[in-house]
Amino acid sequence: MVAAETLGLPLGAVALKIGDSSLPPSGASGGSTTVGGVSSSSRKSAVNALAKLFDAVAPSLGTTPDQLAAVDGRVQVKNDPSKSLTWKAACQKLGVKGISEMGENNQRNPGGLNSSGVGGVQMADVSVDTETGIVKINKAVAVQDIGLVINPTTAESQIHGGCIMGICAALFEERVMDQQTGYMLNPDMEFNKLAGIGDIGEIIVHLDITPEHDKRGPVGLGEPAAIALITAIANATANAIGVRVPEIPLTPNRVLAALERRNA
Amino acid sequence: MQAFEYANPASLQEALGQLGNKWGEADVLAGGTDQLSLMKEYLATPKRLVNIKNIKELGGIQNSKTGLRIGATVTLEELAENAEVRKAFPALAEAARGVSSPQIRNMGTVGGDLCQRPRCWYFRQGFGVLATKDGQALVPNGENRYHAILDNEGPAYFVSASSLGPALVALGAKVRLASASGHREVAAAKFFVKPANENAREIALLPNEILTEIIVPHEGTKNATYEVRQKEALDWPLATASVALKMKGSTVVSARIVLGHVAPTPWAATQADQALAGKAITAESAEEAAKAALADAKPLSQNGYKVQLARVAVKRALLEAVKA
Repeated sequence: MVAAETLGLPLGAVALKIGDSSLPPSGASGGSTTVGGVSSSSRKSAVNALAKLFDAVAPSLGTTPDQLAAVDGRVQVKNDPSKSLTWKAACQKLGVKGISEMGENNQRNPGGLNSSGVGGVQMADVSVDTETGIVKINKAVAVQDIGLVINPTTAESQIHGGCIMGICAALFEERVMDQQTGYMLNPDMEFNKLAGIGDIGEIIVHLDITPEHDKRGPVGLGEPAAIALITAIANATANAIGVRVPEIPLTPNRVLAALERRNA
Repeated sequence: MQAFEYANPASLQEALGQLGNKWGEADVLAGGTDQLSLMKEYLATPKRLVNIKNIKELGGIQNSKTGLRIGATVTLEELAENAEVRKAFPALAEAARGVSSPQIRNMGTVGGDLCQRPRCWYFRQGFGVLATKDGQALVPNGENRYHAILDNEGPAYFVSASSLGPALVALGAKVRLASASGHREVAAAKFFVKPANENAREIALLPNEILTEIIVPHEGTKNATYEVRQKEALDWPLATASVALKMKGSTVVSARIVLGHVAPTPWAATQADQALAGKAITAESAEEAAKAALADAKPLSQNGYKVQLARVAVKRALLEAVKA
């Protein structure tokens, strides 16, 4: 997306190559740094490549490179769109050499498109069946500040997924180890429980997309969205039943034990 | 998975001829939702797998004056959606619906639900149906949060995994079994057995038999099933109760209350049956019956909470049965 936007091309015109050891080293895909790291280097390499293309194309459009822009799959003179070349025609000016450019992040001073600092608020509305100790999620709301949002749809989806992970951790997921045999007893999807569609309630994701946020650059998103809801669900459960369940997951066993303490 | 021979018979007689006289020689394949998992984990290593899905006479649901006949290869979804089942035997329809993944309801069969092996995690990790290591039972001192709270003095500690079992026992159903030498009929209550040793099975079916059909008699009961299950998506119940009530007006003439996922077999709570006779179903009488049903419960170290959950299941199933 970043390369396509920078080069004024449709998304489908950019071929993505990833996971090949002949490619230059890159940041890890993880640690909530992927968008921040990869967008930045992609942007820089695309800017560098475009500058070389403008150098090659400017004479044939009778102008200087700084007067060119890449828009809608064409290279055109900024104030005179009638003077333009299609992307293909522009690239033909390069001859057989092509352009190869790299973009690199300054590890010590990332700045710009690789900002840090994450913030968010998550809220949960739950119902507790006080006879069975079963906690159900009615609604969860996640408001996340991730600075410049590069792709709202995938960013929202990421937060949605983070909320589901939070629900799983709060209510279901638990590794059960047997002290007698050393075996993990639930290495499966039956007793190592994960939420299904019926277990997640309504999840609402909100991102503020304003120029003020854009100025901060993209902020890591992967993991932050998976954390706060666990606490929110535990708080909502305590609010519902008047007593804390001090351990996750909030299983019927633990919720009933907490209710028994309250009633004792 | 160990290599096996695959048989695809078109008739029951042909299928019966493919079975062995000992477990391990041949296993029956219907929906395969449990059988294939067992084979992938090397918990079942049959020399031959006999597919019975193409045997027409094992399918279908037929209603008659005396009762409802349910073929062994009817899927749980077909059972849950069948209009006659929903009308006369909501306990059974609800139990089928409780099998909580649409994929398993659409693949899994009625016969398979009754014949599936226990979900005990020690069994599934290869410690046998009695869950032992070096001759010592692992469950009493181990991770027993999902194990039995009734009939749990050993040697078996698992809970019967069948979703339909408790409802069928409550409804007085019969299970028909066929072998090359003929047919026999077993009451659903006698079909489930607690294995006494590692080579015994938890059902009355013999290795040379196929479960062909289930007969549910029309007894005119008000019936219901309630499952306590933590998740909506694929999950096993923590406790269930199926109830069938013969009523005269609003008074219970006789009751059958059967608990699921609390014992190595569906557990007939006869004390609760007696507690209800001659009474109307109210929140109070249901609560009393629930207490009576669990009076003999002796939880293990981690599963005391299941006593409460089973009580709730009994109470809610009773109230559901007399609703509307």
